Amino acid sequence: MRMDTVIMGGGLSGLTCGIALAKRGQRVAIVASGQSTLLFNGGSMELLGSIDGKAVTAPLEAIATLPQNHPYRKIGDDRIAALADEAKQLLADAGINMEGNAAANHWRITPIGVAKPAWLTLSDHLRIDDLEKLPAKRLALMAIRGYLDHPNSMLAQGLRDLGFDVDVIEFTTDEISSLRRSPTEMRATSLAKRLISDHALQRIADQINELAGDADMALLPSVLGQNNEETVKTLQSMVKVPLRLVATLPPSVAGSRMQASLRHYFMMLGGTYLMGDTAVSGEMEGDKLLKVSTAKLADMPLRADNFVMATGSFISRGLKADYRRVYEPVLDLDVDADSDREQWTQFGVLDQQAYMSYGVATDERLRCLKNGKPVTNLHAIGSILSGHDAIKAGDGTGVSLLTALAVAKDILANK
Amino acid sequence: MVTDEIYKKEYDVIIVGGGATGAGTARDCAMRGLSVLLVERNDYSTGATGRNHGLMHSGARYAVTDSESATECISENMILRRIARHCVEETDGLFITLPEDDLQYQRTFVDACQRAGIRADIIDPDEARRIEPSVNPELIGAVRIPDASIDPFRLTMANLLDARIHGAETLNYHEVEGVIVNQGRVEGVKLFSKLDGRHVEVRGHVVVNACGIWGQRIAQLAGVKLNLFPARGALLIFGHRVNKMVINRCRKPANADILVPDDTVCVIGTTSDRIPIETVDDMRVTREEVDVLLHEGVKLAPSLATTRVIRAYAGVRPLVASDDDPSGRSISRGIVCLDHAKRDGLEGFITITGGKMMTYRLMGEITTNAVCAKLGNNEPCRTAELPLPGSEPDAPKQGDLTKRYSFGERAAIGRHGSLAARIEKDNDIDNALVCECEGVTVGEIKFAVHQLHVHNLVNLRRRTRVGMGTCQGKLCSCRAASLLGELNHDVKRAQEDLAAFLDERWKGMRPVAWGDTLREAQLTAAIYEGLCGLDTAVNMEGKEDVQ
Repeated sequence: MRMDTVIMGGGLSGLTCGIALAKRGQRVAIVASGQSTLLFNGGSMELLGSIDGKAVTAPLEAIATLPQNHPYRKIGDDRIAALADEAKQLLADAGINMEGNAAANHWRITPIGVAKPAWLTLSDHLRIDDLEKLPAKRLALMAIRGYLDHPNSMLAQGLRDLGFDVDVIEFTTDEISSLRRSPTEMRATSLAKRLISDHALQRIADQINELAGDADMALLPSVLGQNNEETVKTLQSMVKVPLRLVATLPPSVAGSRMQASLRHYFMMLGGTYLMGDTAVSGEMEGDKLLKVSTAKLADMPLRADNFVMATGSFISRGLKADYRRVYEPVLDLDVDADSDREQWTQFGVLDQQAYMSYGVATDERLRCLKNGKPVTNLHAIGSILSGHDAIKAGDGTGVSLLTALAVAKDILANK
Repeated sequence: MVTDEIYKKEYDVIIVGGGATGAGTARDCAMRGLSVLLVERNDYSTGATGRNHGLMHSGARYAVTDSESATECISENMILRRIARHCVEETDGLFITLPEDDLQYQRTFVDACQRAGIRADIIDPDEARRIEPSVNPELIGAVRIPDASIDPFRLTMANLLDARIHGAETLNYHEVEGVIVNQGRVEGVKLFSKLDGRHVEVRGHVVVNACGIWGQRIAQLAGVKLNLFPARGALLIFGHRVNKMVINRCRKPANADILVPDDTVCVIGTTSDRIPIETVDDMRVTREEVDVLLHEGVKLAPSLATTRVIRAYAGVRPLVASDDDPSGRSISRGIVCLDHAKRDGLEGFITITGGKMMTYRLMGEITTNAVCAKLGNNEPCRTAELPLPGSEPDAPKQGDLTKRYSFGERAAIGRHGSLAARIEKDNDIDNALVCECEGVTVGEIKFAVHQLHVHNLVNLRRRTRVGMGTCQGKLCSCRAASLLGELNHDVKRAQEDLAAFLDERWKGMRPVAWGDTLREAQLTAAIYEGLCGLDTAVNMEGKEDVQ
């Protein structure tokens, strides 16, 4: 198979890059394992949430203070604002409507009731622009009986600490109760599959209308709308008070909706999505990557002018570690990582852990290095990049989106 | 009884230490009609009791080098199979000889076992490979012996429960900060409650020091000197159960020569190092210990090389130097019960130390005999005959659990024996699984909170195994934290509790943080820090719960 560009990894960064290239007429194939860290997403994108443990209010300004090896600095400070706008538009084109802007963070509410800085949040999720001016006073927190992945008591406590009056209202419907018979079925994505028909939504709406009448706003765990935004909009239209969703523990329905929307959009643009496959090896010729073999297409390697590594960090197995070293398993690319295992981690679980910012080494154009030299037609994007701790800094989704777009431009410019 | 009333009472005996020995002594004393208070500074079974292999020795390991310990072990082994059936899995064990070992030793070993009364059958290496497929196929000799696997947390809780059934009071998170001595006589203890910060005095006629290696400090508080020598052992837990039987090396005891199947996992250990007494609270496992355990462990079962290591931990065994040898060269591994009236002229104070988790009941019996002698009590010991709660004759046997029971029910019966009947399971909500790896339901958590002294998530883990499976608490810990916050009416603390729990899990993962264990750690961070923001909500400094 001969493509213009082959992207290894089908999560947020791989799909974003694929979409940007396919839009410009490229023949693009994405090799996707089928797993994506969007399943741990709370319905928001983060550009930069925190520096040294302090919340960032103006991410565009703060980016200029990051170390030089941070992926944003490699892209170039002056390009971030434009790329951020472009990313927001690309998401909207894919049917993912989010609100927020890169100049000023807003707050998202986490499943345990913590307010965290965010850049973009899904329009149907709870978002607070200013903690001094709450969007509602009295909240009805609709708690699904027997659903354990929405820790209501912690969430309610967190919301009260922010200044809301919160009533926790337990409810259920026949559709929800039928799931409860199997003790492992009460998960967000299973609920979302049951709660699609107007009939099922109306039963939920009836409960909210009956029980949450006095509230300024009703909150519901984000267990609706796995396929598109319409399900939530339908429910919102049936409910008398404003209704917002709140993130749950994984699997995230909002995240899988984003993943599905991006994939559909990519395929609509003519992209090839090789689902359930992973790149296993590649063949180099000089300073170029010639072809890549996958687990399923062993005797039919993928050839392309350009390749993109978007296989993620340790979670997604884009990086691996054995008890001797950290390595990139497909092409054995150069990695930025400590060679001494003792340096990888710290004693406290919430301490900054060095391994979090390990990743493949890249040059200024985000081209991967092998034996110290750039592979001229291989870029890296997203979580596999070194130089940032996505979890502590709150920049994981932002790095994925912006490096994907920057690399797409680089590929198109150097054709 | 509320705590204030517990403080006010005067007891026949106050037992310091909530490990297996303290719990076994409390049970025995209570069954003989004494009024008993047991105090523990942390949670129950946090010392050496909870930090070993979970091996129910046949005694074979000691047969050649320490025949007294071997005889004690086989006798207690047979008793525990009866009285603690729900804590024991009858796996049997192998002692294997590898090409690098001396096959001559096998004969010495079998002879010594027979002298100690331990069944020891030499079997053909082919037979060994057949009955234990994970065993190193290069073995040249094998002996089958009655080793088994035992859950020390469950065993300790069952003893404490039975002590309470017989009228004993038990308090965890109560630290002894002083021993009350009056005219050469111990009259009680000064306690500090870590639960509410109060300092109180409680009176008792006899104080039993059952604190393992920490007994040296309690003795000091009473003004007597003990010569304890801490021997540290590190162990590794693998992510699934590779072996069906306990696998030992048939040679003189050495590093990492026992592999024990425990519930859903297996454990290799131990190293053995004498350490300074000042360092007994530092349980960090070193890189060298990990390397030794992996290197030697693979020789017992080669598939360990490709099995994920999920945790490392270490425990400290109290060895006792004989009184006339302060250098510590003639050290006993056996049971040591000291009546300080005879030894030091201090009346009302007894120290029980040395020994093994395995012989906790015998240690309890010996200690209770000494206590009863002081108090003029002539009741006989019955702890060897009467089954522990959970192991009554009518309790369901693990092997009999048919499809009538759900996964959660089967798991609960395995953990709590007949006590599982007390778990609410009449509606779908109580049956919902909180921990999918270990099959812990909402009902079981309610049971643990209401009946098994659970104050936080780490306690809950020890009572139910929540978060002990391959995922090491990835999702279940948040579900459990929220539930616990509601049940204990303390939601504000739920986030801190959750962070403390994840920290305790991480302490064991960190020494083996590579491969899928590192991946799980990143995944857990993505959920609890990235998604949930736990790190911004909680300040961990100075708030570390003692492991």
